[in-house]
Amino acid sequence: MHLPPWFWIATVPLLSWGVVGLLQKLSTNHLSAEWSVVWWCVGMFLLEPWLYSGPAMLKFPVRGLIWALLSGAFNALGAWALFAALKSGGKASVVSPFTSLYPVVVVFLAPLVLRESITALQAVGVASALMAVTLLST
Amino acid sequence: MEAVRALKANWFWYSVLCVFFWGGWIITSKLGTNTGITDRGMQFIFPFGALPIVLALLLIKRLRFEKSGKGIFYGLSNGVLSAVGGLALFAALSPGRHWNTSVITAVTSLYPLVTVILAVTVLRERLTWKQVIGLGFAVVAILIFSF
Repeated sequence: MHLPPWFWIATVPLLSWGVVGLLQKLSTNHLSAEWSVVWWCVGMFLLEPWLYSGPAMLKFPVRGLIWALLSGAFNALGAWALFAALKSGGKASVVSPFTSLYPVVVVFLAPLVLRESITALQAVGVASALMAVTLLST
Repeated sequence: MEAVRALKANWFWYSVLCVFFWGGWIITSKLGTNTGITDRGMQFIFPFGALPIVLALLLIKRLRFEKSGKGIFYGLSNGVLSAVGGLALFAALSPGRHWNTSVITAVTSLYPLVTVILAVTVLRERLTWKQVIGLGFAVVAILIFSF
């Protein structure tokens, strides 16, 4: 069986993020949610040299920079809430798929903030996500 | 009754909070990239945006250090692997490759399935049949949102 090259590269985020879900639970087995976020953030900084692609990268428009920083703040708050969910007894096998349903919020906010319209398929996605949340929570 | 029990559980509400925060993360990321910043640039800047939150959380903990080698190792690995996944995704989606963005996004967004498999095999977590069906609905929703 011949698998295309894109598949192998796509496997890296699939596996690394999948393993992260497990490590998040293991991390909260030993640390508080707050300290789990601290070390997660330190770990992200370790990879910064590989993400830096030259001085041109630092000439971002100010507005874009503010959005990017806000995006980081929201991501960290989400990470803290996820660690807190795991720390307070949530199973990794339930919390991981549950919290990956955040595009539901995007579907509702996109028409207001980004002036994008909701498609019929996205509406089906929202219904499916709500079913998933209900069943995963039982 | 089970649904009522879930509503009383802290993990449920923290998970809901996470969904809302990460919804905000995607919206602000999109607003950022609309100004011309590349995905890679966003990924580079966003740990700096996380710093004030980290600082606030440290203050909540009154800067009391939690000494756990294992905990620190797992925590650091979380950050490193999150960034590694991000780097690989940018490599896969780089314009020069002309690979199908929708398919790659769909494949990578299925990472919770890997977590579930690992949680069941490594952590010995058990899922009820309802939760397995719920997982199926989650996969359908994730796939729909990724296109």
